[in-house]
Amino acid sequence: VSSQQFSALTEVLFRFLTEPKEVERFLTQLSDFATMNKISLGPLKNIVKSILLVPNGALKRNLSSEQVRADFIALGLSEEKASYFAEQWKVNSPTLARLAVGQTLMINQLIDMEWKFGVTAGSSELEKVGSIFLQLKLVIKKGSQLENVYVELTLPQFYSFLHEMERVKTSLESFS
Amino acid sequence: QLVFALHNLTRHVVYRGLTRAEDILCLFPENFHQNLKNLLTKIILENISAWRNEAQASQISLPRLVDMDWRVDIKTSSDSIARMAVPTCLLQLKIQEDAALCGNNPVVSALTVELSKETLDTMLEGLGRIRDQLSAVANK
Repeated sequence: VSSQQFSALTEVLFRFLTEPKEVERFLTQLSDFATMNKISLGPLKNIVKSILLVPNGALKRNLSSEQVRADFIALGLSEEKASYFAEQWKVNSPTLARLAVGQTLMINQLIDMEWKFGVTAGSSELEKVGSIFLQLKLVIKKGSQLENVYVELTLPQFYSFLHEMERVKTSLESFS
Repeated sequence: QLVFALHNLTRHVVYRGLTRAEDILCLFPENFHQNLKNLLTKIILENISAWRNEAQASQISLPRLVDMDWRVDIKTSSDSIARMAVPTCLLQLKIQEDAALCGNNPVVSALTVELSKETLDTMLEGLGRIRDQLSAVANK
C-alpha cells in the first residue's frame, strides 16, 4: 500500500471513528477505496478491523501519540505510515475522547422537563381554595426506555428546589 | 346521630369557609340552647384553620414531592476511556403517591435522577422562567 493510499485510508478510518453513526458511509468509502486501488474488499475489511482496534485500545488506556506510533511499528507498519497515523490520532483524540465520555453510563438520565402551574379553585371539601400548585413532568431514560414522572410541588417547595439546584450548579462549576 | 350531625356541621363550616361567629351561629336552629350554641361555635372557630389545612393537604393531587437530596460525583474512568474528570449530579426525589388513594399508609418512592452539567443548566433556565412567571402572576 503506497503512502498516498495509506493516508486516504487513514482519513476514511478517522472520519468513521469521529462519527460512529455513519456506518453506511464508511462501508461505501471502504469499497470505493478497494475498487480504486484494485484491492479486494474482504482482506481490506480484515485489515481495517485490526487497524481500528488500535485507536480504541489507545483511548481505553489513555496512550500518547508516541505510544500509538510504537504500537503500529510493533505491528509491522513502516515508520513513515506509523508516524502519519500517530499524527492523525493526536489531532483527532480530543474528539474521540469526548465521544467516549458521552457514551459513559448514566443512571436514570433526565432528558426533558415540562411544567405547568395553576390555581386550585375548589374541592369536594373546600368550596373556595385559591392555592397555587406547580406540576412538573420529568422525562427520564431508564435503560433504553423513556419514563414520565409527574410531581406536584407547593410554592415553598419550588423555591427551595430552585435554591438547591443553584447550589448544585455552583458545585459542578467548581469542578469543571 | 349526634356525632353524625356534628360531623355534618363542621364539614359545612369548613366547606363554606365560614370564619365569623355570626355566620356559624345562624346555622343553628331557632330554639337551640344558647350556651351550648356559643360553646360549639367557639370550639369550631378554634379548630377551623387546622381543619382547612388538613383538607387541603389531603385533597386529590398528582404525586407530591416530599423530600429532595443531591450529591455531585466526578466520573474518573469508564469501560471506553481510561481517564477523565467529568462532574455529574445525582438528584434523589422522594415522591409520595396521592394521599387520598393510600389512606393511612402513604407510599413514598425514591427516584434517583442523574443530570449532566448541560442538563442542569437547561433545567435552571426552565426553573428561572417558572419563577419569573410566578412573580408576574403574584404582582398582577
